[in-house]
Amino acid sequence: MATPHNTSAGSFDALYRDSARDLYAYVRTLLGDDAAAEDVTALAFERAYRRRASFDAHRGSQRGWLFGIARNAALDELRRRRRAAPLVGDLPDERAAAPEEEADLVVRRTTVRAALATLSPRDRELVALKFHGGLTNAELAAVLGTSESNAGTRLHRAVAKLREACNAPA
Amino acid sequence: MRPREPLTPEQERDLEAIDRTLAGEPVEFELLELEELVRDIRATAPAMTPAFAARLEQDVSDGFPTPREPPARVRVRGRRWLLLPALGSLAAVLVALVVVLADGGDDTNTLMGRSAPSEQAAPAAGGEAAADQTARAGAPQTPAPATSTAARRAPSVGVTEAPRKVQRSASIALQTPEDEFDRTTDAVNATVARFGGIVASSQIGASDESGGEATFDLRIPTDRLDRALAALAKLGHVTERSQGLDDITGSFSSARARLTEARAERRGLLRALGRATTPAQIDSLKAQLRSVAGRIRGLDGALASLRRRADLAIVSLTVRGTGDGPQAGGGGQWTPGDAAGDAVRVLEVLAGVLLIGLAILVPAALLGALIALGLRFGRRRRREAALDPA
Repeated sequence: MATPHNTSAGSFDALYRDSARDLYAYVRTLLGDDAAAEDVTALAFERAYRRRASFDAHRGSQRGWLFGIARNAALDELRRRRRAAPLVGDLPDERAAAPEEEADLVVRRTTVRAALATLSPRDRELVALKFHGGLTNAELAAVLGTSESNAGTRLHRAVAKLREACNAPA
Repeated sequence: MRPREPLTPEQERDLEAIDRTLAGEPVEFELLELEELVRDIRATAPAMTPAFAARLEQDVSDGFPTPREPPARVRVRGRRWLLLPALGSLAAVLVALVVVLADGGDDTNTLMGRSAPSEQAAPAAGGEAAADQTARAGAPQTPAPATSTAARRAPSVGVTEAPRKVQRSASIALQTPEDEFDRTTDAVNATVARFGGIVASSQIGASDESGGEATFDLRIPTDRLDRALAALAKLGHVTERSQGLDDITGSFSSARARLTEARAERRGLLRALGRATTPAQIDSLKAQLRSVAGRIRGLDGALASLRRRADLAIVSLTVRGTGDGPQAGGGGQWTPGDAAGDAVRVLEVLAGVLLIGLAILVPAALLGALIALGLRFGRRRRREAALDPA
């Protein structure tokens, strides 16, 4: 896919449609609060829109750039609130409430949520960026300001911890 | 910087399986558990409420008409580092101005008293004026030179109030084209004679290789010195010029006082001689009179010598003939060679100013970049700290 040098209005719209849900999911997981997540998501899109001319395709993908903006806004919000975001208690559980879900599936996802809650905020953020945000490892590295291999190593550790937490006896 | 951690084969395999699962592609059998975990994590992703999704959609389509943060503040804060190079440039310009002005001051001082090369000596057209100005500036602490008309006409009311006696001296070096060397040295003699001066000594040497050099030891009436120097400057390209002042008022006053005393003593001795009655007294007085007369003659000579020093300025003139083409000479005319020289000089000054500017700007820019990097790093650390457990 040809990536434009700068984010024009048209490509910004495409970026929005491609990323909005994932971005909200990441921010919501990080902040653990619906209202704050909505504010930060909207702020991130607004900042990206106003700075779209400064986007440089040589420095990474539009998606990584947008998530970087959202991450800064979310971390600023976290700093402002001076508290770590609780994860599992605030997470919405739409799927668990779905009547057609099988009992096994509901149990598994509840277990995953509980396991996610045991992770450190940094590991939880990595999981959110990767699995909720849907970033590639290169985008992950760009957002975190580290190398791709380092981002991959950290992600692998976080997943390993998550697997341990899921398999741990209740 | 964080060291790179190479991925192990197991990590690479797991990360690839995660990516394949997220892309909806199948994975190997032994990684099915990981695939299931990925799907479960993905399924726990929070979703936007329809109301928020609609609001955001509206904002995006309207281009965010209501800013959530003041844009001006963000812009200024984001570009504040730009002020550093601007301040550095301003400082560089100020320092360059100071240096250039100070450099100009040094040239003036050079003309006042010290001997130093003066490639940018006043053009011949303005040479006389420059010489007069230099002469005036050369005695800032001294009243009008004794040889000036006003000074010479001032009434002598006593030893302590006598006009000051000043001996002036000057040194000037001219450069002239080789083929005009002889004509220039002849013109020196004519110019000196025109202003009532004398050539006390001269040495003229001509060489095919060096082009010739002539040195003149001149005596010019002090009251015509400025005009004479201006006329001499027109004979070639002035490469060096200096002037000096030597206040000989003390020596002159002392000699005159001693002469007055000696004359008074002689008058006393003559009166005593008229009253003397014995041969022994007469002989003794005559001997004293001879001694006093000798002292008077010596003091008269010393006074005359001092007057000559005040009336005649010593001028050392050097004329060099060179084969360097029209730029070497000029004879007071502003030639294309002079223009080229001036252009080079201007470029040199500009290069100097740029160098000074860079000497200030580069460290300032480096410092600014370091500060900006430090601020950025600090801000990132503070942000990241939000992810640390409270």
